[in-house]
This record gives sequence, C-alpha cells and structure tokens, in this order.
Amino acid sequence: MTTVTAAVGRGAAKATRRRGGIAPPWYFAAPALIVYALVMLYPAIAGAGSAFTDWSGVGDQRSFVGLENFKQLFSDDQAIGALRNTLFLTVAIVVVQNGIGLLLALGVHTTIKSRMALRVVFFAPVVVSPVMVSFLWKYVYNPAPDAGLNAALNAIGLGSLRQDWLGNPSLAIWSVAFTVIWQCAGYSMVIFLAGLEGVPQELHESAMVDGAGTVARFRHITWPLLAPAVTINVMLSTVGGLTLFTQIIAMTNGGPGYATDTLSTVLYKQAFVYGKFGYSTAVALVLAIFVAAVSFIQIGYLRSRETTA
Amino acid sequence: MALDQSVSRRRLLQLMGGAAAVGTLAACGGNSGSSSSSGGQLKVIGVGDQEAGLRKALDEYKKAHSDFDFNLSFAPADQVQTALRTQLAGGNAPDIHVVYPGNGSAMSMAQLSKANLLTDLSDQSWTQKIPTGFKGAFQNDGKTYIFSPGSSMLGAIYNKKAFATAGVEPPTTWSELLAVCEKLKAKGIVPIALGAQTPWITQLIPYALVPGTVYAKTPDFDDKMIAGQASFADSGWVDAMDKYLELQKKGFFNANPNGTTYEQATSLVGTGKAGMAVQVSAVLPAFRKASPSPDDLGMFPFPATDVAADNWIPGGVVVGIAISAKSKKADQARKFFEYCGQPDTLSAWAEAVACVPLYSDGEPKVDPVLKPFLPYLKDNKAVPFMDQRWPNAEVQPTHFAVVQELLGGKTTVQDALKKMDEAYRKTA
Repeated sequence: MTTVTAAVGRGAAKATRRRGGIAPPWYFAAPALIVYALVMLYPAIAGAGSAFTDWSGVGDQRSFVGLENFKQLFSDDQAIGALRNTLFLTVAIVVVQNGIGLLLALGVHTTIKSRMALRVVFFAPVVVSPVMVSFLWKYVYNPAPDAGLNAALNAIGLGSLRQDWLGNPSLAIWSVAFTVIWQCAGYSMVIFLAGLEGVPQELHESAMVDGAGTVARFRHITWPLLAPAVTINVMLSTVGGLTLFTQIIAMTNGGPGYATDTLSTVLYKQAFVYGKFGYSTAVALVLAIFVAAVSFIQIGYLRSRETTA
Repeated sequence: MALDQSVSRRRLLQLMGGAAAVGTLAACGGNSGSSSSSGGQLKVIGVGDQEAGLRKALDEYKKAHSDFDFNLSFAPADQVQTALRTQLAGGNAPDIHVVYPGNGSAMSMAQLSKANLLTDLSDQSWTQKIPTGFKGAFQNDGKTYIFSPGSSMLGAIYNKKAFATAGVEPPTTWSELLAVCEKLKAKGIVPIALGAQTPWITQLIPYALVPGTVYAKTPDFDDKMIAGQASFADSGWVDAMDKYLELQKKGFFNANPNGTTYEQATSLVGTGKAGMAVQVSAVLPAFRKASPSPDDLGMFPFPATDVAADNWIPGGVVVGIAISAKSKKADQARKFFEYCGQPDTLSAWAEAVACVPLYSDGEPKVDPVLKPFLPYLKDNKAVPFMDQRWPNAEVQPTHFAVVQELLGGKTTVQDALKKMDEAYRKTA
C-alpha cells in the first residue's frame, strides 16, 4: 500500500515537473522507436504483401492472386469456426478473468494478516511461462481415471464427474479457457489492486458516516474510481484473448478436430503445416485489423466511462 | 521505491547504457560462439524417429574421415516442421535436414524440390538401386532428392506377455482380431492403445486398414484419385473408417483416446497394460524403451478383412534426409550421402530404426519382429503410406482432424471423408 501511494505521489510530482517545462526531448525515444520500426513495423508491412500472393512460405515461386486469399477466408469453415472459438475464449477470459481478478483484489485489499503472502500466491502463475503452465495443466487434465484432476475427483468421492478434459470436443475449449484464466487472474488482480490503493480512504469514511453499507460503498465509490483499472484490464485481456496461441498449441494443437482452433492457430497451421503462407498472411492481416478495431472501440467507450466517473 | 529515490536520471541513463553494452557484448559472444561451432561442421537436423540410425551413420563416417565433423540435433516432427520451414524460407537451412518421402506434407520431398530447395542426388550410385515401386517416394521429375534407409512396416506392435495372459495369438483376419480384442478386454487388458491426442497417431489405424479395404481391390486407387475418377467418400475408406469406429464402440481402445498422447499409449503397451498399438516399425525403439524387456514385444500385420488374400499391408519409405540446395558444404554432404547408400551402412541404419533396407545384396537383414511382413513384400502386397501420394499438404492434417472428430462423435464417416475429398481437390 505504501509503495503504491508513493508511486501515485511520484507520478503527480513528475507531471508537475513536466508542466514546468522539463519534459524529456523526443529523441530520447529514438533508439526504442528505431528498434521497434526495424523489428516490428518493417517485417509486418513487408510481410503484408504476401497476403495477396500464393507463396508457399519457401522458395521464390509466388504469383499475385489479388483478393483471392481474402475471399477464401470468408468462406473457409475452419477459419469461421476458429473465429467463433476466438470470440468465445475472448468473452470468457475478459469476463471471468477480470471478475476473479477483481474479487481477488478486493480480498487482498483488506487488513487480513496474510494479505501480502496471498498477493504473491495469486500472482505467482503470471510469472511462469505459458508453455510451462500449459504442460502442467495438460498433466492435470490427464484423462486416465487414476491421474491428475480425475484422480482428485475420485479421491473426494466425485468420481462420476471425471472427464476427458482435453479430448472431449465439447469440453476442451472450456478446459483451455480455465487454464488461461487460472494463470492470468493474478495479473488482473494486481492492476485492480493498484486502482484500489488509489481510492481515497476519506471517501469511504465519510460514506460510512452517512450510513452506506459495503455494497453501496463499492457501487458508488470504489467501482467508479476503478474505471481506469477496468479500462486497462479489459483492453489487455481482450487483446490477449483475440490473439491466444501458446496455450492452445501446447495443450490441444487446436484439436480435437478443430474444436479449439483460434485465428492465431489457424494462421500458424496454414503457414507451417499446410504450406500456404500467402493465405496465412491474409488471416494475420484480418486478425490484426480486427484486434485494432475492437481495441479502438473499447478504448473509446471505456475512456468516456472514466470521464463520467 | 528505494531505487527511485536514490537513482538520478543521469545515473539511470548510465545504467541503461551499461545494460545495452552488456547486451551487445553478449550478442557478440553468441555470434562468435555459433560461428566457431559451425566452422567446418556440417549442420544436421533430424526428427527423433531417425536418431538411432542417422547418429550411427554420422559417427561411423566421422571415424573414417578425420576432416569431417558435424553438428547434429533432433526435435519432434511438429517442431522440426515449423523451425525448418522458417530456416528454409530465410535461406539459412542446415546443410543436411530431414525430409519426408513422396508428397503430401509441407516438408515432403516433392513440395521442397518443387521450390528448388533440395540438391539433386541423381548421380549417386545408390540411386540406381531404388526399387521401381519406391521411385515416387524418392524422385520428382525423374531426379532423386532424398536418401532414406528403406521402408517401415505398419502393423500392430503387441505385448507378448499380455497376449499370453489372455491366451491369444496374433490374428490373421478381422474377425480373429475382434475375438482377440474381446479376450484381452475380458482379462482387464486394454486391447488397443490409441494416443489420438498426438495428431499423427490418428492416421495409423486407417492406414493399416485401407490396403485391405481399398488397394487390394483397386490397386490403382491413387491414380484414379489423381485423375478425379475416385473419391475417399465413395471407396473402401468408408469401410476402414467404419471399422475404426467399430473398435471404439466395442470398447477396444483405452478410455478417452482423444485425450491420450502417443507417449502414454506407448507406455501402456510397453508395460503390458494394453495388448497392442497400431504403429510403424520405426518407433519400435521407443516401445522397447518403455518395456521391461525388448523381447516382450512383437509385430504382426493388422488384418483388415476376413479374406486372408485381401489383407495387404502398408509399407512406406521411412523419413529420410536431403541436402539443402543452398548448402555451402554440399560436396562434403554428398560424400556422406554416398557413404549412407552403401549396403553395409544402409543395412546398419535400417536395422537401427527397425525397417527393411532399401536394397540388399541377398536376403535382407531385418529386425526379427518384421519377419511376418516379408512375405507381403515378396508378393507385392505392400502399399506406400497413403499421404505419400496425396497432392498437397492439406489432406493429411485434415485426416488427423476428422479422425479426432469421429472419435469425439462430432462428425459422420461420410462427412469426414467428404472433408478429405475437399482438401484433396485443392491445388498443391
């Protein structure tokens, strides 16, 4: 709490200094901008041209096919199914991850003695590589009756709930979503926690004097003032959900069948498994535009909410 | 907080500059390290299945040639496909790398040679000895681009102890197979281990069945497919897929095959918890590792029909190696390939990966478990792995996906095969 308060204080001081004319010169950003341009922008723009060709990804043979790849994309069952999965995962992650993250933040933003330890515990999965987390959960989801989650269910007398967590096409996407949420809820918690630390205690105190209960104080004080944290969390989890790749490839490879394919796994498979780099780039381009559009709309709405709050 | 209070902006910049310098130095170190390690060394990348044979051949060749050195690495097939295609696209492929025979995969000989990424090996002496029936796996437009030690048999790898416990012998017809499975199941042994979560495993049972249900009746099925006169959905593939599902419906697979991996299935057979798994002989070394004794395991041709004469077998050229067209050490690599093609080297490599040598002077020296397959080869009742003649890289992954959907009850045999037909008709 002390740290964050101090950080808020420092931020305010910095802003004052900037208003006083000590803003750093723009060219301080030049090294980072150059690296970003070379490593991100140039390859992205140069690669976008491939979306209008039939390049296989290897060799020099390629011909211009115009908008053929895009036409194919909008009539491709696999891509449409992947879009559906992507949207499902995104909504699930945005709603549940942020909901749990908020509850965790409210839980550890109290005076209980173990709050610091709990913060570390809840944040711990975030610092583990997503590939490691995926392999760990793949082990937990082992379909054998005497292994992982199924064994645990057996042990507590809930053997009838045993499942083929990743092998059942109807269940696999939920299992993947749960893994992502398990790993990232701590991240949302930290951002909400930073927001909670910024809510002035005096407002709560005066509301209490006025007879406001816990729910009323959360609704009328905490929630409106958490708007910036909500904006950041919703933005980050939306972009993360729309571009979800690592956990899918490591846990299900998009299967069983196409049940957990997302736009990101489809574009990967088109490029590296099917040898259709041009088509894959078209998928990537559409995904990038889609993510950018969703982000702009979201940020516009959430920012306006911050102003009214 | 303490950092912010004590570190001035100037100090922070100094720290950043230091960090950048360290980063640069580290990068330099990395570069020099890698260049020195590749100096004079042939860079070789293979898949795990070929390790036993390829490593042996390279070691032996190095012993005999003091000026030869190599840098060898292996990875699972899926990862190799991604990493190698990126290197091939970037023009920095290893000198020698894994390539799949025939066509049908993004890393196949036909697809890569079409993109001018492989060195022509036609002037090597061993290429003259490639059996006519296998030429399609090695050659594109009459030129040879891949070396492979021989052909792998696809059948059932079985645990002899598990079979003895159930009092059963390897079956020779489909009905006998069902009876064997029933007896194994009655003894609490999983009849057939299936790790269908690993994509390439999904194809093995159809591959074991279609030689009997398709090719024994229509040996020129592939030619008819290419000519557009046949389709998966209107062929013996329907029978093969129905039989696949029959095995599942009768409870002859382990529970939840879609959630089980290749490694888990291998362990089930190795430890005798399962009676058999349909597999290629090239993975026998992995099964033997999973078993208390290598002698516990045997192989038999997986019967597809009740007519013994119709039970053909799948026998495909195993994964091989090729020389990158851009290799600066192509001359050295070509000499090594010439060495690999000699009868002794070929035989030793083939034995190490449990396959039948590409050619042999006299009776081929093979792993004893492959003996039940040899009469089929002699009688020309072996069919190359189906994907090796599929025209593009999309049919095989479609096959993987539709089998998972079938096992998950999400599609029908007709719809699954129609999807494969659609993928087949797409341009290469």
